[in-house]
Amino acid sequence: MLRLPSALPSARAITLGVAVALFLLLCVLPIIYMLGVSFVGGDGSFSVGNYRQLLIDARQRELLLTSTLLGAGTALLATSVGAPLGLLLARTRLPLKRMLRIAFIIPLVVPPYVSALAWILMTGSTGFVASWLGCDLLSAWTYSLTGAIIVLGTSFFPLSMLATEAAAWRVNGRLEEAGLLVASPGRVLWRITLPLIAPTVAAAALIIFVLALAEFGVPGLLRVRVFTTEVFTAFSALYDFGAATALAVPLLAVALIVGILAKLITGERLLATRRNLYPGLVLRLGRWRAVVLCFFTIILAASVILPLSALAIEAGQLERIIFALGTSGDAIFNGLYLSTIGATLTCALAVLLGYGRARSGARLRGLVDLLLIVIFAVPSTVVGVGLIGLWNRPGLLGAIYTSQTIIVVAYLARFVPVAALMLAASVRQIPVSVEEAAEVGGANWWRTFTRIVLPQMRTGLAAVWVVSFIFCFGELGATLLVAPPGESTLPVRVYTIIANTPPSEVAALALLQVGIILIPLALLGFFTGGERGVR
Amino acid sequence: MIQQQCLIQRLSDFKHHRRLAALALVLSLALVAACTDERQTGITTGNNANTSGAANEVTIYVSTDRVFSEPILRAYEQKTGVRVNAVYDTEETKSTGLANKLLAEKNRPQADVFWSNEPIRTLVLKKNVVLTPYDSPNAEGIPATFQDPENYWTGFSARSRVIVYNTNLVKPEDAPKSIFDLTDPKLKGQVAIADPRFGSSSFHVAALYAAIGDERADEFFRKLKANDVKIVPGNSVVRDMVARGEVKVGLTDTDDVNVALEDSQPVAMVFPDREGIGVPVMPNMVSLIANAPHPEAGKRLIDYLLSPEVERMLAQSEAVQIPLHAGVEGPKNIPPLASFKPMTLDYGKAADRLEDVSRRLQPILGL
Repeated sequence: MLRLPSALPSARAITLGVAVALFLLLCVLPIIYMLGVSFVGGDGSFSVGNYRQLLIDARQRELLLTSTLLGAGTALLATSVGAPLGLLLARTRLPLKRMLRIAFIIPLVVPPYVSALAWILMTGSTGFVASWLGCDLLSAWTYSLTGAIIVLGTSFFPLSMLATEAAAWRVNGRLEEAGLLVASPGRVLWRITLPLIAPTVAAAALIIFVLALAEFGVPGLLRVRVFTTEVFTAFSALYDFGAATALAVPLLAVALIVGILAKLITGERLLATRRNLYPGLVLRLGRWRAVVLCFFTIILAASVILPLSALAIEAGQLERIIFALGTSGDAIFNGLYLSTIGATLTCALAVLLGYGRARSGARLRGLVDLLLIVIFAVPSTVVGVGLIGLWNRPGLLGAIYTSQTIIVVAYLARFVPVAALMLAASVRQIPVSVEEAAEVGGANWWRTFTRIVLPQMRTGLAAVWVVSFIFCFGELGATLLVAPPGESTLPVRVYTIIANTPPSEVAALALLQVGIILIPLALLGFFTGGERGVR
Repeated sequence: MIQQQCLIQRLSDFKHHRRLAALALVLSLALVAACTDERQTGITTGNNANTSGAANEVTIYVSTDRVFSEPILRAYEQKTGVRVNAVYDTEETKSTGLANKLLAEKNRPQADVFWSNEPIRTLVLKKNVVLTPYDSPNAEGIPATFQDPENYWTGFSARSRVIVYNTNLVKPEDAPKSIFDLTDPKLKGQVAIADPRFGSSSFHVAALYAAIGDERADEFFRKLKANDVKIVPGNSVVRDMVARGEVKVGLTDTDDVNVALEDSQPVAMVFPDREGIGVPVMPNMVSLIANAPHPEAGKRLIDYLLSPEVERMLAQSEAVQIPLHAGVEGPKNIPPLASFKPMTLDYGKAADRLEDVSRRLQPILGL
């Protein structure tokens, strides 16, 4: 790159430096703090006591295996549903595509715990299916690891779908066109398009793996014992922060190993693209149209229509929902407002980190990816307690801790790593040459970044913003711990009032929560995005 | 030529610094504005957390279900004009709970009062030096069993662990009368309990170990496991499974069953072990936080919570809590305190067993 010696650090160095410093402060420091706590013994001196007991009993090893299977099964199922969906949305002509895209995001918006409740209502031993058939065929299968994988897989596949679609849009159309001159569309898809989007698909699968690994509500409800519950036992039954943090370490190790495996399998296929005005490969469905529509219908029925109908039947009268809505105004406003700020700041920081990562050396890049995935795997409670330890101090930090700003800090701590990981692929595909050209043309770095780099990442950025918004809006683990007195966010409100309400009200509140988050997303979906690519 | 370019570069860098500096300024101003805004709306900012004792506000962390506790705190605000900042949570599911927040905030407490819906968390906090003693005048009249001799906590309005059964599947005369009846082979695969490492279920098992000794308790849980007991995440899940008829009986709390009764579900409850080891009664507990930001306001709020008036409100609400002051009318359908013997006489002893019992039960119940 054209760079002349300068006494002052460049704008680029300062901006990236600030981004990295913020990342370390917000995301890494709370975890280091907690790791520090885990090495303090009962008498206040250094001790490895918390780690000595790890994994020595067969029970814990078995739990860790179940957790890993749950993660792998969920990632596999979600990817095998989500990736084809994403590809079809990006590369085929279909009616009502925007509607379909929004409909397919719904499962991600429904809290997994509520999805599990809906499945129990449908397929449990006294569920709708059993009462229609007159006998109970499905409950053994519902209350099992398979059941948990299906519930989580149908909850998380939209992530794979969004990532695949964004990646498919970025593939250089000219490469595909060149391929089409000599090969069939199927072969071009198989040999050019898919290899180019594979790293993104793999990154999404890895994120889904970590999400499933972190889940303990759904396995608990479906009576599957997982390792993650151990971490929460250490917090809520034993009140031992050090032991809880130590217990999270095996989970992080699993995430690290799977992350390394994913890297080894997919590698980094670096093929720079230009800004893509049109895709080279449009899949003509022809006689496959019926098959594709059938696939869409099945997925839509299994992941959206059936669970939501089950909840609606359970909720019964509309007045329950209206009542829930009437009393939750502040919580809804707070949830939407804080998640909008949270998602925007998350994306801003993640864009800079993703950019810095993409423009660094290959070895550093690999390490950064693994660091991001491991940080994302840290249980939310560990992050929450770490944030309290760091921010509950006199002065400015304390002022932030006692205001709602701390909830945004918690969102950033939880989701910047995953957003940076998702955005990394988008930046990587922007060639360095365009930046160099801009610089030669006299544009400064900031201008190059905002006028050339960001616009090229637009689709990826929009997808990541939506996902971050959904994650922020649904965040509970860390928010519950750090939220100051006063009305908190909608999930916290729902959570603190569901304990003693009948299932019908829980269903009503869950539907409300889904509706609330869908409205802004639907508006966003209708007014932006999707102009490029195949309509 | 190169020198000239270098100069241009520096100039443009300088322009950038200015822009970045402006950005930083705007951001920090926004931050300060956000903080001041919070202050104006009255949420505790805690800048001088330990000095402003006379403030017209009080902060309480509440683990009693929000639907029951919020109206009581609102009534206090109406009555006194003191602003009550509340953080709600529930120990019902595997939430990490307010006890963890209080422990994490120990070095710089934000709360004045902790209102717990069961004894264990309060005693864990006492052990971890989060609480400070306060002897409220309104504690008079509450039986000594429900008061800490050292005044770190005072009990009020109690719930009980109960056996819940499905009235379509079990006749009242066949319903289990004791938790030991749950190991009856006739109920194989038909019993649900909440995970005994969490919430009020953990209190029940810890109290049981303290009451009957390790050997008998281990034996009981082994038999329960052999009877194919279903272990579920929370007490409301137990109740819902029984109400749906997925299992015939379960162990849960009085208020959980009452919610189902109000909703006309086919369930009924039995106060277990009235004849034998005693009924597992769980009082609410209220405590003052050590180094609280508003200790005086905290004490006034504790006095209010321990008043017969609050016990009456909690008895008449859907929480159906048993008043501990003599002379306060109890809830319908719930036997009065004087009519049975409580299982636990020393809550501290029961709480001491929590950790050990959690670890013991993991292999026995396959958790």
